[in-house]
Amino acid sequence: MTSATVPAAAPLPADTRMRRLRAYRRMARTALRSLMAYQTSFLFGMLASAFAALSMLYLWRSVLSSGSRHGFDWPQMKAYLLVAFVAGSLVSSYTDYRMANRIRQGDVALDLVRPVDYQWGRFAESLGFVVYEAGTAVAVALVAALIFGGVPLPDPHTWGLFVVSALLVFPLRFGIVYVSGLLVFWTQNYVGVQAARIALITLFSGALVPLVFLPEWMRVASAYLPFAGMASTPALLYSGGLHGSAATTAVAVQGVWSVVLWWLARAMWAGACRKLTVHGG
Amino acid sequence: MHAPQVTLIQTVGLRKVFRKPDKGPGIRGSLRHLVQRKFSDHVAVAGIDLNIAEGEAVAYVGPNGAGKSTTVKMLSGILVPTSGQVFVDGLVPHRARVENARRVGVVFGQRTQLWWDLPVRESLELLRDMHGVKGPRYQARLEQLDSVLGLGELLPKTARKLSLGQRMRADLAAALIHEPRVVYLDEPTIGLDISVKDRVRSFVRQLVADGTTVLLTTHDLADIEELCQRIVIIDAGRVVYDGDLQTVKDLHVRERTMSFELAEALTGVDRIAERLPAAQVQLGSNDHELTVTFDRIALGAREVLSAVLAEAEIVDMHIDEPAIETVVRKVYAGELRVGAGNAPAAESTS
Amino acid sequence: MAELRRKLWLYRRLLGAHVRATLEYEADFWIMSLSAVLVQGIGVVFLWAIFRSIPRINGWQFWDVVLIYALVVVAEGLSVLFAQGAWTMAVTVNLGQLDALLVRPYPPVLQVLGSQVGMNGLGNLVLGGALLFAATSHVDVVWNAGRLALTVLLVISAAGVKVGLNLLTNCAAFWLRSPYSMFAFSMHSLGELARFPITIYGLVVRIAITAVLPYAFMSYFPAAAVLSAGTARWLGLLTPAVAVYCLWLGVAVFRHGLSRYESSGN
Repeated sequence: MTSATVPAAAPLPADTRMRRLRAYRRMARTALRSLMAYQTSFLFGMLASAFAALSMLYLWRSVLSSGSRHGFDWPQMKAYLLVAFVAGSLVSSYTDYRMANRIRQGDVALDLVRPVDYQWGRFAESLGFVVYEAGTAVAVALVAALIFGGVPLPDPHTWGLFVVSALLVFPLRFGIVYVSGLLVFWTQNYVGVQAARIALITLFSGALVPLVFLPEWMRVASAYLPFAGMASTPALLYSGGLHGSAATTAVAVQGVWSVVLWWLARAMWAGACRKLTVHGG
Repeated sequence: MHAPQVTLIQTVGLRKVFRKPDKGPGIRGSLRHLVQRKFSDHVAVAGIDLNIAEGEAVAYVGPNGAGKSTTVKMLSGILVPTSGQVFVDGLVPHRARVENARRVGVVFGQRTQLWWDLPVRESLELLRDMHGVKGPRYQARLEQLDSVLGLGELLPKTARKLSLGQRMRADLAAALIHEPRVVYLDEPTIGLDISVKDRVRSFVRQLVADGTTVLLTTHDLADIEELCQRIVIIDAGRVVYDGDLQTVKDLHVRERTMSFELAEALTGVDRIAERLPAAQVQLGSNDHELTVTFDRIALGAREVLSAVLAEAEIVDMHIDEPAIETVVRKVYAGELRVGAGNAPAAESTS
Repeated sequence: MAELRRKLWLYRRLLGAHVRATLEYEADFWIMSLSAVLVQGIGVVFLWAIFRSIPRINGWQFWDVVLIYALVVVAEGLSVLFAQGAWTMAVTVNLGQLDALLVRPYPPVLQVLGSQVGMNGLGNLVLGGALLFAATSHVDVVWNAGRLALTVLLVISAAGVKVGLNLLTNCAAFWLRSPYSMFAFSMHSLGELARFPITIYGLVVRIAITAVLPYAFMSYFPAAAVLSAGTARWLGLLTPAVAVYCLWLGVAVFRHGLSRYESSGN
């Protein structure tokens, strides 16, 4: 198997770009349609994460019943957890697993033959999925909000930043999921790596506990890692836990990491192509 | 002919209906189906009566979707019949699965009995332990299987890495490690090359000679000709014919072809044709070859021979035996409705 | 009796066969074990982070909650080591691989359960055992031979509950024609709610994990019995019975599923 060449850096003629864009749009739509076919599986997956969110909500309600902690009262915590839940449902484990599985099974050879950039292709597919994921997650979050007595509206001072942050969650999560998917080229094992990755990331993203609850050194570490942007940042902006320059910085960090991960992935891809082994049989 | 034999396999009115939910696509369809439960029924086996005696080798033949595999699965206890009865060696397979498994060996052409990630040797050892075959007997059995199937070379290989032919040989060994009285072979030669097919056939011939009861499902009609005396033809879930193989051929395949190689080029085909008005006389690819196709009821081989001899000098001669293929093709094409071993229904002229 | 021993011996053979097959992938084993330790460990970190800010949750203090958590991890570890095969059911049943099992002279349900050994099981057991040990040495109880014996019994029963419920929920494979065990996975996630004292949950949830799918008997009730805490402890003593019930239910539904098996898929 000869290594695929990384697309040249020179700009393409306009019609090729148009064709590429159309191809990506098609991939996005096909991805969405294929998701519809596996709807039951996807919905059960959503149910699973809904249960997880449920246990968090109940737990924190109990914890905060005797008063607020670390600046969180119950309504704020509700808002935080629900936003973290929706953010965590984007680029879900479904996409994750699917991508890694393809790499592991060697189907990637088929993808390489297609005249589209592998990374952009996966991005387009995830974009196709995310519409459905976001929709379902918001629906579930609203039901949960109802059960738990409503959720406050977004903090008026930071809601603009919140919107930006929410939009940045997608490329950031895509970057993280895609990069760890590429790790399969080197580790071959996926299930164990994925489980460990998800656990670590979930902790440092603030989806399990708001980062303020963590000991100092973990909080410092999370400031340098990209994961806070996956849940904590948008959730805090919604619930009013981030203000002023801290808020703008946090969103900027989200953006920067999205770009860094994108380019890291490209570098890994070039490395992986050199190393590519395609399974026989 | 022979003393009355023990019926080992018996089915009475065996029926299997598959129910498929009739639901529309997508999530709306699924939800609607929860309320309006509609099903479509597919009758795979529509009432089959079988009686197979101990030691018989029976061919079970029919077009795709006729219900052959379904029948075998009910006989082995994999599927539960919708109605009707099935007994194998006095047991009801799906009720006494474990007991039944001890007496029966099954080979599915498209699926394997082997543990996919283990060497063949270990698969066989696991089966040996499950069946409780004692050490020395197991060794003897392995040697036996090695001599016919060449099992020895396969033992250290992982099942996943075997070729189709190798896998089939290993599967045969796996099915027979416990020397069962009854063996079901479901498409055992599918996809195999001729040398492996020969091996498999000689192995089955040996089985039959040893007195094992064999039910063979196959599309490869050469398998049948070599191995079975009795044929059951099934179509659309019903038995269409059940009886002696030779009888079927004699009764239903009346066409014979004799081919001749002549000493000299034949100038007058017409003269021979005149002598045999009921037959089709044709020249072969060159002037030295002649074929005569005739209805053997209407015309005897001797007459054909004398007609040709009268007009030419014969160097070599060949008579084509009627092939079961012809019968089955006719049944598949619906041209033939065969009675159960008795006087056949009127045969349409083809 | 000899029959039972033989069944157990064969079960061990089946497990061993799978272990041998997968030990080829040695790197996998270490990755999976470490990953298990990490995953469960982070759960403990989470608990610890919460308890830094509050002394008790619904009357339960840190080490009590760790005990509940430890029971889940150990039960999970045991079920993963000895009955992981339940998770293969979606594939086995819907891709026609069950046929081979049905013509072997050994109970199909045991063949299914014994067909896989989860490599993260050992990691789970090690961490769970450590947590259990740590928790038991910190909790507010008097340890004697009786309580120790009770704990051992309850730990094993907890594993029995998990195995039974795993089997039961994976039987959905007979009804849902998908090669993915997503239904069973979502029910497993429901069971994760049993990592915390169930008193924090609303009534509906509590009924769901106590009576409908008794996941709470995997952790909360046995823990309550060990700790002699509140009225829950009496239910905790029923854990062995619940384990038997869950296992029986799993096998019964499996048998029912078998009778409907259509052997499709190639």
